[in-house]
Amino acid sequence: MKLPLSSNAAVKGAIAGSLIAAFFFSYSGFGFTALPSITHTVIIEGMKFVPDTLTVARGDTVIWVNKDFFPHTVTATGGRFDSHEIQTAKSWKYVPKKIGQFGYLCTLHPTMKGILVVK
Amino acid sequence: MNKLFLVTAATVGSLMFGAPAHADGPNDAQIAAIVVTANQVDINAGELAKSKTKNEEVKAFAQRMVTDHTGVNKSAVDLVTKLKVKPEQNDTSRSLAAGGADTIKKLQGLSGKAFDKAYVDNEVTYHQTVLDALDNTLIPNAKNDELKALLVKVRPAFVAHLDHAKHIQGSLGQ
Repeated sequence: MKLPLSSNAAVKGAIAGSLIAAFFFSYSGFGFTALPSITHTVIIEGMKFVPDTLTVARGDTVIWVNKDFFPHTVTATGGRFDSHEIQTAKSWKYVPKKIGQFGYLCTLHPTMKGILVVK
Repeated sequence: MNKLFLVTAATVGSLMFGAPAHADGPNDAQIAAIVVTANQVDINAGELAKSKTKNEEVKAFAQRMVTDHTGVNKSAVDLVTKLKVKPEQNDTSRSLAAGGADTIKKLQGLSGKAFDKAYVDNEVTYHQTVLDALDNTLIPNAKNDELKALLVKVRPAFVAHLDHAKHIQGSLGQ
């Protein structure tokens, strides 16, 4: 297969892209734009939430990934959020809007517990 | 001492003393057969319990056993298929299958609270047995790293199931 760009042009393009990205990154870093929301991942494996306590900022995204061989849930004990069953190799995403400390568990395996701290 | 307990105790004995962790222990093909049989035995008991019990807590537990052990078995079969390991029946897997069939037979003759108690008591013993087998025989003897990793990864599920079964055992006894 013949590429439309010479490798030299591709490299130049990549460098230019990095410079542009670096510029925007530093620009936003000086507070001209709102801080980007961060994505956090909690791995569900071996009947555990890892990490079992996670601290995030309001508006961040939290993804729970089920790496066990059977379904689990991420269910806030106070009822604020509930993933319902997350199947094997699937994930569930939540964007917390409210500040606070939220304990959660897997309703299918109640010995599995975690805490989401939203600041 | 009831007959169900004796059957389970016989299975415990064969698992605990059948194969210490040395050269005489089971090979990976035998371990695969033991794992698949152990899960299947509990799936069968769970299916029976789902259809017989009137107790919601026992029913939910039985459903959990069916779902979780089916998931573990699927992963185990997927792995041994990938590794091109053909599960090889052996004394331990045969004893587990025979013990499981006996348990089903005994449970079929029971109903109501007697059934719930016998099923849950058996679940406590069964999960303890499999945990002991994992720790003393299966994990130490597994040669393939991926097979060993799978056994290590499923271990916490057996611990959680054991705790869950003990919890129900306590509430049934009240």
